[in-house]
Amino acid sequence: MKFSVNWLREFVDLPKNPEEIADLLTRAGVETENIEMRGAQIDNVIVSQITASSRHPNADRLTVCEVDDATGTRRQIVCGATNYKVGDKVPLALPGAKLPDGTEIRKSKLRGVESEGMLCSPIELGLGDDASGLLILSPDAKIGTPISDLFPSDTILDVEITPNRGDLLSHFGLAREIAALTGKKLNSTPRESKIAIKKTDVTISATRECPFFSARKIDNVKVGPSPQWLRTKIESVGIRSINNIVDISNFVMLELGQPTHAFDADKLKGDINVRLARSGEKILALDGKTYSLKPDNLVVADQERAVGIAGVMGGEETGVTASTRNILLEAAYFLPASIRRTARNLNLPSDASYRFERGVDPEMILRTSQRVSDLIREIAQGKPDKDTAVAGGLPANPPDVSLSYTKCNQVLGTVVEQESVDAILERFGLGKTESKNGDATWRIPSYRRDLQRDVDLIEEVVRAFGADKISGTDRSRFTTSSPADRLHDIESALRARLVARGLSEVRTSKLIPRNAPAFSENAMALQNPLSEDHVALRPSLLSGLIGVLERNLRAGAERVALFELGRVFVPPDAREERRAGFLVWGKIVSEPHWRTPDQGPLGFFDLKGAVESAFPEKLSFKGSRHPNLSIAAEIYANDQFIGIAGQLSSSSLKIDARGGVFVAELSLDLPIRGLGSTATFREFGKFPAVTRDIAMIVPDTLSHEEMWKVIFEPKESLLEKVALFDRVVGKEAEQLFGPGKNSVAFRLTYRDKNRTLTNEEVTVAHAKIRERLKRELGVTLRE
Amino acid sequence: MTHPLEQLRDEALREIESAPGEKALEAVRIKYLGKSGSVSAWGEQMKTLSNEERPVVGKLLNEVRNAVTAAIDTRNAQFRLQKESGALAKIDISLPGTPHELGTLHPLTQMWERSIEIFRRMGFALADGPDIEDEWHCFDALNTPPEHPARNEQDTFYLPDGRLLRTHTSTVQIRAMQAAPPPIRVIAPGAAYRRDELDATHSPQFHQIEGLYVDENVSVADLKGALEFFMRELFGAGTAVQFRPHYFPFTEPSLEVYVKSKALKGGERWIEVAGSGVVHPAVFEALNKARGDNAYDPEKWSGYAFGLGMDRLAMILFDIPDIRLFAQNDLRFLRQFA
Repeated sequence: MKFSVNWLREFVDLPKNPEEIADLLTRAGVETENIEMRGAQIDNVIVSQITASSRHPNADRLTVCEVDDATGTRRQIVCGATNYKVGDKVPLALPGAKLPDGTEIRKSKLRGVESEGMLCSPIELGLGDDASGLLILSPDAKIGTPISDLFPSDTILDVEITPNRGDLLSHFGLAREIAALTGKKLNSTPRESKIAIKKTDVTISATRECPFFSARKIDNVKVGPSPQWLRTKIESVGIRSINNIVDISNFVMLELGQPTHAFDADKLKGDINVRLARSGEKILALDGKTYSLKPDNLVVADQERAVGIAGVMGGEETGVTASTRNILLEAAYFLPASIRRTARNLNLPSDASYRFERGVDPEMILRTSQRVSDLIREIAQGKPDKDTAVAGGLPANPPDVSLSYTKCNQVLGTVVEQESVDAILERFGLGKTESKNGDATWRIPSYRRDLQRDVDLIEEVVRAFGADKISGTDRSRFTTSSPADRLHDIESALRARLVARGLSEVRTSKLIPRNAPAFSENAMALQNPLSEDHVALRPSLLSGLIGVLERNLRAGAERVALFELGRVFVPPDAREERRAGFLVWGKIVSEPHWRTPDQGPLGFFDLKGAVESAFPEKLSFKGSRHPNLSIAAEIYANDQFIGIAGQLSSSSLKIDARGGVFVAELSLDLPIRGLGSTATFREFGKFPAVTRDIAMIVPDTLSHEEMWKVIFEPKESLLEKVALFDRVVGKEAEQLFGPGKNSVAFRLTYRDKNRTLTNEEVTVAHAKIRERLKRELGVTLRE
Repeated sequence: MTHPLEQLRDEALREIESAPGEKALEAVRIKYLGKSGSVSAWGEQMKTLSNEERPVVGKLLNEVRNAVTAAIDTRNAQFRLQKESGALAKIDISLPGTPHELGTLHPLTQMWERSIEIFRRMGFALADGPDIEDEWHCFDALNTPPEHPARNEQDTFYLPDGRLLRTHTSTVQIRAMQAAPPPIRVIAPGAAYRRDELDATHSPQFHQIEGLYVDENVSVADLKGALEFFMRELFGAGTAVQFRPHYFPFTEPSLEVYVKSKALKGGERWIEVAGSGVVHPAVFEALNKARGDNAYDPEKWSGYAFGLGMDRLAMILFDIPDIRLFAQNDLRFLRQFA
C-alpha cells in the first residue's frame, strides 16, 4: 500500500529523512519497497482556466486552446490532450518553466500555430504515472496560483503489508505502529464521540457473515468535484478522484482503514437487509459488470434486490451520481473468510475487500461513520441524521493471551528482561491483566486479531527488540544419510560421468507449452494455466531437449550434446518418475583443430556410447518402432525395459537438423544394478595376455550381437575379452565381397590367471572358436 | 708421487670430457673399461702384486673404475638430453593443445551442489517430496486454512483432478515430519510453481532448498547461527547477514534473510535471499492430528525452517541478469559455467 509521509506526520512525529522511516519499518517487518519523492516544486507553472478550444487548422490530433492565466490577456496554447472541456482548470507551464524530465518550455510554433506555453499532464509535473491527459484541477483552484502551492512536496512510501496485519492498511494504523516502534506518542486519534444509534431500518439475516451493520442517512448532499486538498491527498496514494462523496469515503478508508459505502438513498426500496444471495441472483456492480451470485455470497439488499456485494463492491443502480440528493452511509463488519471467498469467486478484488478479508477494527466502525458524516457535512453540505441505524453487535474483543517469559527467551535463544518484554508489548497497545510465576496474561487490542498465542507475542518482542541483537549459535549435529541422500549422490555421479563424456547438462521447464515438440503427447494439462507457454506437465524429458536443440540450432550451434536428469509426469495420472534424457546432434568435435581433422557427425552409436558409459550395468538395445523415431530401440537392463533410444523422425522437428538428431530416455526409478554401489577389488591377471584376430565375411543381416554370442558365450576358460575392431559395409563391401556381404574383424584376448600361456594352448582355443563361427553362422573366415 | 692408476684415471676423464659424441664416448669406454681396456688390464695385474700392495691397489682400482664409469654415464646423459631437446626445439610449443569436448553442469545444479555440500557439513540429511501435492500438504498443514489471506489459490496451478503443483518446498517439511518423529534435520532441494508471468525475475517454475530442524529448545539464535554460517560459506567470510521480521503463516516469529557482500556485484545493498522462522506450533498440532500421536508436542519440541531461492542465489552468485536464461539452456550460456 502507498503511504503519504505528509499524511502520516499528521498522526505522529517522524524522522526528517524518509530513508530513516523506511529503515525503521523494514527492520520491524513492515517492508518498504519503494520511496518516491512527489510534489510539483516547479517554477513558472500556474493554475489556468481553459476559456476556448478549437481544432488545429493543420493537425487532426491537436487543438488550439485559449487560456486565462490571470494576467488579463488570453494566452494561446496548442494542446494534444482530449480529456478536458472548456471551463476546466489545468496546470499551465509558462515559457521559461523547466519540467522534471528536463524539458524547457518556450514560445514556439506547432504546425504553424503559435503556442505560448504548455498545458500539463500529471506525469509531466512529476505527480504520478498518469500520462493519459491533462491534470484537471479542482474548480476551486485559484487562477494564477503557483502549482507548487497545490501540490506541496511529499514522499510516498510503498509498503508491503503482510496478510496478518490488516491494522496497518491505513495512515492512522501505520502511524500507530511507528509510534509503538519509536516510543513516540500519537498526535491525534480519531475523535471519540457519543454516537446516537437506533435499532431500526436495518436488519441482518446472515448474522454469521455479517455480525454488525450500520447505516446513517445523510440528506441534501451536493454531489460535485472534491476540493483540491482532498483530491491531492487521495491522488497522492494512487486513488482517482470521482466525486466528493466517493472521494470522502475513500479518503477515510485510507485514513482509518475502515471501508464505507454510500448508497443513493432515493433509489433504495425500503429498509436494508444484509443476507446471503439468492441462487441465480444477479447484480450490476459499480464496475459496470453484471455478476451472478451464489448462495454463499453475502449481499446488502433492500426489500427488492441486492444493492451491493457486501464488503466487495456497491451496485451500479444505487450508486451515488451527480443527481444524488440523499445518501445512506454504510459502515459494517463482515466475516473475513466470507468476503475473501466472494471476492475470489467473483474474481473481483477491491480496496474494500482487501481490508475486510484481513479483518477491520470493530472499534473503528462507528468512528469512521462519524468521520465520513462530518466530512460530508463540511464538504458536500449534507445533513446527517441524528441517529445511526445499527443491527447486530460488534465482534467481541480478541481473547487474552498468556506468555511465559522463560519461553520467550527459549524461543529467541537470548535473554530479554521482563521489563523490556512488558514495555514492548505495552507500546503495541497490549495491557497486562495478570502476572504470576513468570507468566503474564495480556489483553489484546481490538485491532490486533493476529495476536492469538504466545508465539505471536514473542514475534512482537523480536520485532521491537531487534533480531540483530540475537547472536547466532552453532547447533550442528550428526545425521545419518537418507535414501534421498543416496539418490542425490547417484545422480551427481551420473552427471559427472556424462559431463566428462562431453555432454552438457540442461534443465528445462517441467511446464510445457501448448505447441510443445514431439514426446509431449497425452501430457497432464493444468486446470488454470496462465500463458500458452506453460500449459501442461511434461510427460518426457525429450520434448524439452528438442526445444533446447531448436534454440541452439537457431543460435548457430555446430554441436549439441545434452542430457537432463529430472522428473517427468507420466500420463494418464501424472505419476512422477525420475528420468535421464539424452540428445546428440552435430559434429563430433565442435571446433576444427589441427590434431583432429573433421571426424564427421555424431550418430546413433555416439548416443549409445554416452548412455552406456553412464550406467555400470550392461544395457541391451533391441530394435523397435516408435511414432516419433525413424530408428528406434528399446533399452533393457537385466531384461527389464528401462527406456528408448533412436533417431528423431524429421516430422518430430520444426527445424532442419542435418545429419540426424539422436535421443534416448531412461527411467532412473527402476532398480538399475550397480548405480551407487561400492566397488570391490577383483584380482587382475598377472601373466601376459595373448591376442588373436578373427576376420570374416558375413551376411549383412547377421548382427553383432549374434556373432558376439557365438564367440563369447560358451565361455572358453582362457578367453578374457572380445572386441570388434574393424567393419567394412555398404558399397565398398559389396565391391570387395559381393552383394549382401560385410566384413568384420574381432580381436580376442586370451589369458590365464595362474601361468603364462603357450602358443599351442591359444591356437587350440582359438581354432575352436573359428570352427564354431563357421559351423553355427556359416561365415567365411579370412586368413 | 701419483700412482700410475691415478694418471690413467685423469687421462680417461680428460678423454671422456672431450669426446665429441656418443660414438667417440663408446670408443673411450672400450679403451679403458672394455674387456681388454687399460683399466681392466690392471685387474689382471693385481695377481702379481704382493700381499701388502694388493689391498691398497685394489681399493684404488675400484675408485678409478667407479670414477670413470660415473663420468661416462654423466657424459652420456648430456648427449641424450642434447639430442632430445634438439628434437623438441623444432616443435612450436605455442600450437593449441588438443581439445576435449567437456560437458557442463547447469548453473542451477552447481548452485544446488554447493548449497547441499555446505548443509551436509552442518549435519543436514536430504529429504524429498513430490511436485504434485494436495492442499493439505501445501496449505492446511502449514497453518494456511481455507480463506486465509496467505492462501493464494490465484497463484497456484491446479490439475483437473484437484491436486496442485506445490507453491513452495515447505510441503517437504510436512512429509518429513509425517515420516519420522523428532529430532529431524533435513534439507529438501526441489522445484516449486507459481502462476507468475515469466519475466526477468519471475518464472512459473522456480527452485528452492527447504530446511527443517526440530529438536529440543531450537531457537531464533540457532536459526541465525545456521543461516549466517551458510551465507558466509557461500558468499565469503566477509558477508554481512541481516534478519528482518516478516510474516509467514507457518513460522512464528518469521524472519527474512538479507545479505550484503563486497564480493558480489552490486554488493553494497542488502539482497533478500531466504525466508525463515521458528516452526509455528499450529504446524506441529496439524501433524500430530494427522499422525494420530503427540510426537511433535509443541511443549517439548521446537524447530526452525527456512527456504532459499536457488534461482535467486545463483543469479546473485554468478551475476546472471535474467532468470529466463536458466530454462533456455543456450549452450553459449551453459559453457560460461563449465
